[in-house]
Amino acid sequence: MKKVLSVNNIVKSFHQPEDFQVLKGVDFDVEKGEFVSIIGKSGSGKSTLLYILSTMDTDYNGSITINDSNVTGVKQNKLAAFRNEHIGFVFQFHFLLPEFSVIDNVMLPALKWGKKPKDIVRERALELLKMLDVAGQEEKKASLLSGGQQQRVAIARALINEPTIIMGDEPTGNLDSKNTKNVFRIFRELSREQGQTIITVTHDNDFANNCDRVIELKDGQIVSQ
Amino acid sequence: MNTNNKIAWTHLTSKVQQLVVAVLSVMFGISMYIFMNGFVGGINTAFDDITFSTMAHIRVYNDMPNDEPSLISHTTNDTIQFIHNARHIKYTEGIKNAQEIIQIAKGFAQVTAVTEQINQNVFFQNGITKVSGNLSGIDVENEDKMFGTSKYMLKGHIYDLEKRNDGIVLGSGLAQSICVNVGDNVTLMTADGTKKSFKVLGIFESGASATDKSKAMISIRSARQLFSKNASYASDIQINVKDYNKAEVVSGKMAKIVPYKVESWKEGNSQLESSSTLRNILAMVISAAILTVAGFGIYNIMNMTVNEKMREIAILKAMGFNGKDIVHIFLLQSLCIGVIGGIAGMGLGSLIIYIVRQIPYKIASFTSLPVAFRLVDYIMAFFFGLIVTIIAGYLPARKASRVDPVEILRG
Repeated sequence: MKKVLSVNNIVKSFHQPEDFQVLKGVDFDVEKGEFVSIIGKSGSGKSTLLYILSTMDTDYNGSITINDSNVTGVKQNKLAAFRNEHIGFVFQFHFLLPEFSVIDNVMLPALKWGKKPKDIVRERALELLKMLDVAGQEEKKASLLSGGQQQRVAIARALINEPTIIMGDEPTGNLDSKNTKNVFRIFRELSREQGQTIITVTHDNDFANNCDRVIELKDGQIVSQ
Repeated sequence: MNTNNKIAWTHLTSKVQQLVVAVLSVMFGISMYIFMNGFVGGINTAFDDITFSTMAHIRVYNDMPNDEPSLISHTTNDTIQFIHNARHIKYTEGIKNAQEIIQIAKGFAQVTAVTEQINQNVFFQNGITKVSGNLSGIDVENEDKMFGTSKYMLKGHIYDLEKRNDGIVLGSGLAQSICVNVGDNVTLMTADGTKKSFKVLGIFESGASATDKSKAMISIRSARQLFSKNASYASDIQINVKDYNKAEVVSGKMAKIVPYKVESWKEGNSQLESSSTLRNILAMVISAAILTVAGFGIYNIMNMTVNEKMREIAILKAMGFNGKDIVHIFLLQSLCIGVIGGIAGMGLGSLIIYIVRQIPYKIASFTSLPVAFRLVDYIMAFFFGLIVTIIAGYLPARKASRVDPVEILRG
């Protein structure tokens, strides 16, 4: 299988309030279509690792290659364009833009990319919403939807540019068990049926145990994978 | 529509109340800028009007020699000079060949009007009341053309002076102090002791009270007769030019040809010019202060918007919007506020000017407060308003662009 993510010896330190090494040399690879969970206690560095993988945090030592391109040491503006094309995000608190309609929220990353005409993007967005079972709500304002629905809209938004990797920061952390199952099922299907690579940080052991692969972090180091 | 513009537009329209407050602050600033500058412009015009209702841009007259030549030029150290009661012995008084000078003046392209005058101090007598004042012998038609004298007539007509040789027109204050009205007689007494009776044909009021209390006008022919002068005699020749700010240029050229003293209005009246400059500066300072306050209004509102939208900015960055996009989004919102506020402000400014112009106030030939409508004020107001908006909007936008998404998203 094709390697989509390669992480080499990531070291990350915080200097506030005092010098502290959060990640002490993390190495792993992820192949296309893998559904990976990163687990660990709070303070183990799992979220820090995810934000480094996401290219938003650039203050680290080591190197990261995503889809054969090196992203370490690249300028922020270039990274923004890279994220737009290659990475889809799903956060713990859905983080939709509340003043925009559901469909606009989903379309935004694609419109930013500007690679496809608007009507095709819109068609694709409607397709995704239908697949995620939130069809019929597209003209509503995002803030009017329930938590579970918002999270599914967020997943649709993450998928709109057909990213190399979807990254989730506790995507089910704020959902009830029914919606958690729902979101898990969606991820599972995306990975299995469409070959979508997914990396999520989670607290939820049930969620993690059903993934293809679990990476466990302890005190800034991988203890099992 | 561009994605950034769409986001900016959604932000703007989702908070209508904030938008209205921001637009109002700009609108108020711009309208005040236009009004203040228009008002000061109007006041300056009114002052110029008053000034030039009695004063020409250039005056030609026979000057007293102002330096006394030393009577004994060769002195040695052991000589002491005693000169008592030195005095001018002047052989020519006034301008004897006024017509010739008028022809020279009319030869200049910039000259718009020329008139001749005989100005003398006389006593006005009615019964036992005796008041000293200035008598002007005027060339009625040219005088009216130059100073608009007929506009200032309270009673009677200035042109009646041409019909009667013994007619006189008095300033309102002067008429009051010697207790005469139209139709009454007044006796003039010259410095030489000549007395002559005149009939009051009219009363004028220029707005400058010193003039109104002391000035009287008769026709220049009667004046020549009264002072026993030749037919082309004048004491002053008054000249107006197209642009009074360039009077000294014309006067400088004229002085080389004319054998008399040629004086532009600025030479004796520098205070007039400096007071109008000061008024302009004052207007600029006040309107700049108002625009700055409006700028703080925008800054405050945009800053609030940025603070409120920290999470959205972070999410936009996570989705691939870079710093420039974020600046674009927020600066565009400020610009919209600036442009809408600017246009509304120009409307409000025009309305304020229109209303203030209706307020009755008697000054010079104006009957209500003088406020000028000037295109340049509108252009400058809009231009400055936009600059203030851009500065006030850029600072919060830059702050937004520097938001670290990791910090916000991790909570």
